[in-house]
Amino acid sequence: MNRKRLSFKIIVRVLLFCFILGGSIFTIYYLFARKTIERESRENAIHLAESTVYKIEEIISPAEMIPDNLAWIMETNTLSRDSIYAFLKRLVRNNKSVFAGAIAFEPHMFSEDQYAFAPYAYRSGEEILSRDLWSPAYNYFIMDWYQIPALLKKPYWSEPYYDEGGGGVLMTTYSVPFYRNINNSRVFAGIITIDISLEWLTEIVNSVKIFDTGYAFLISGNGVYVTHPNASQIMNQTIFTFAKEINEPKIREIGRDMISGKSKFSNVNLKGMGNVWIYHTKIPSSKWSLGVVYPHREMFAGLRNLNIMIFLLSVVALVLLIIATIRIIDRQIRPLSKFANAARSIAGGDFDTELPAVDENHEMLELHDSFRFMQEELTKYIADLKETTSAKEKIESELRIARGIQTDMIPHIFPPFPNLPEIGLYASLESAMEVGGDLYDFFPIDDDHFCFAVGDVSGKGVPASLFMAVTITLIRSMSDKNRSSSEIVQSVNKTLTINNESNMFVTLFVGILNLRTGELQYCNAGHNPPVLLREGQEPLMFSNTKAIPVGIFEMYDYCDETVMLDKSDQIFLYTDGVTEAEDVDKNLFGEAALIKALSENRDESSNELTERVKQSVKEFVNDHMQSDDITMMCITYWGKNENKTKQNK
Amino acid sequence: MNITIDKTDEGFLVEIEGRIDTTNYNEFEGNIAHLYTEKGATIYLDCSRLDYISSSGLRIFLTLQKKVKIQGGVLKIFSMQPQIKEIFDISGFSSIFAIFPDYSAAKEA
Repeated sequence: MNRKRLSFKIIVRVLLFCFILGGSIFTIYYLFARKTIERESRENAIHLAESTVYKIEEIISPAEMIPDNLAWIMETNTLSRDSIYAFLKRLVRNNKSVFAGAIAFEPHMFSEDQYAFAPYAYRSGEEILSRDLWSPAYNYFIMDWYQIPALLKKPYWSEPYYDEGGGGVLMTTYSVPFYRNINNSRVFAGIITIDISLEWLTEIVNSVKIFDTGYAFLISGNGVYVTHPNASQIMNQTIFTFAKEINEPKIREIGRDMISGKSKFSNVNLKGMGNVWIYHTKIPSSKWSLGVVYPHREMFAGLRNLNIMIFLLSVVALVLLIIATIRIIDRQIRPLSKFANAARSIAGGDFDTELPAVDENHEMLELHDSFRFMQEELTKYIADLKETTSAKEKIESELRIARGIQTDMIPHIFPPFPNLPEIGLYASLESAMEVGGDLYDFFPIDDDHFCFAVGDVSGKGVPASLFMAVTITLIRSMSDKNRSSSEIVQSVNKTLTINNESNMFVTLFVGILNLRTGELQYCNAGHNPPVLLREGQEPLMFSNTKAIPVGIFEMYDYCDETVMLDKSDQIFLYTDGVTEAEDVDKNLFGEAALIKALSENRDESSNELTERVKQSVKEFVNDHMQSDDITMMCITYWGKNENKTKQNK
Repeated sequence: MNITIDKTDEGFLVEIEGRIDTTNYNEFEGNIAHLYTEKGATIYLDCSRLDYISSSGLRIFLTLQKKVKIQGGVLKIFSMQPQIKEIFDISGFSSIFAIFPDYSAAKEA
């Protein structure tokens, strides 16, 4: 278990999740905050503009009252020249915002004999002076302040202007027409004007501060800047010339909207300020319009600062989260490494390895318990295994000893009788298990008679081997020169049948060869028929016996048969382990293959012939597990006192 | 190996399918052991589908024959495949068992 890698994986997943979660929350928050700021800024802008307009109106409205009232007085009263001057002078003195006032009469309206009369009172320093405006050089009838309201029959605010006489102060003139009743009709009689300084207006508008660079401005009905934070713009530039200068058609549009008296929000890109909002609204009494400029960047500066703060805090939080996660994971899975070490040491054979201590409430408790259980079970299992193994070893060692004993029961030194030149003999027995049920034996009965036997106990393994031991012992003890082969078989049968509850039986072939004459007397008790190999002939199988195996019926009558052997004839005996040897597909070797193998090797000595047949069987079986005991015996009859011609082959 | 035993009007019909060798002769004996105690029954062994029999299997046949005889019954074997018949012939068992070519022949005898 790589603890570091596991921690890393968990951290990556946790962080990814936190990142996505945090990102989503932040985005929602940001959009919401932005929207809120926008809305509030908008409301703020409107509010700011309206309150500024209100402040302006607060000054303008009383100023408008003056000529309005005066017009009413002039309509109803006829004042003398002197009293008009006095009246005007008092009016200027009493109204601080009024710089000058005039009453300009229509031609011959004041008196029949006077063409024009325009009494005028004005401030000159601390003093209030007065004079008649009319002079041939100053024909006031063609002045804007007179002509426009006279034509419109309406009060009129003039465009702002710098008054040369008034000391370079920005001024505007409010003109109101007045009438007189002549011959019962209301006749236009002249214009009453007051000049108002616009200093206070500049002050009010310039006092509007929006963030660091935002500002308010005022334009006249022609679009001329009346107030502007940049003083050089005032009266020198209109909003339209400004639009042309910075090449921004939107500003021109705003200008149009402003002089047509609309209230509106617009979004424009101003050089040097970036995106700004401009809200404008009209000043109701005049045709002027107020604009407030909201710089975006500054509007959202607070939000941006907040974002930076949040970002920094998030980074710090993430770092803390990583550290905390690493520590928590480390603490939680630390026992895992210890368990891994314990597992290794258990695998190494140390079942008593101490397991890492785990708290009662720890998540690893179950793992701990499983480990403990595994330890206990392993210990138990190994103890059992040791016991079983030792028991098995004991049985195996006993079987090995039994095998030794069984092997010693059959003759296994070849050639067996060097002083018996009449025969050549070779035999082989291979058990499928440690011990088996096949048997062979041979021994001379007297100088002329040689007895041999091959047998096969039903079944295999230990039960068969016990029966085999009894059988081979019986054959030896029953054979003497007075008994024929069938008598030997019969004696063995009788003894074996007694108390044979398990119905074990032995197929048995017993032969007695007369070494002098070559006469072979034999008795076949249910055994596979041997094969006779004679020079110049195909291998010849003995005919099947009618006799049953020994061990079945006590009183069964076995018969002798005889065959004459020529010199160099060979008898090949075998058990069914040869003909019934199986390959992996359970095909049997069979008699035909046996005959073929014998035929191919019939010129060989007993020894060689047997080994060759064994080889053929092995090749057929091809590593498949040996299913039955395999026994072969080959006897070559050489005859008495003859040259062993075949032995050189 | 597969053993089916049917009780019929004539006795018991035992059908043996497959191989009887040292690995399963115990199982075979376990399957037919209850026939050892049937009184006076005729037992028919159908060997038409018996492919191989080892000496261990022959021993069970022998035991069955002896037990049946003690109970006064008869064991009849029929429809042996040639290779099985050969084993019986080689071992001489053909002479101690009642062997028939088919079921009807076994019933008639």
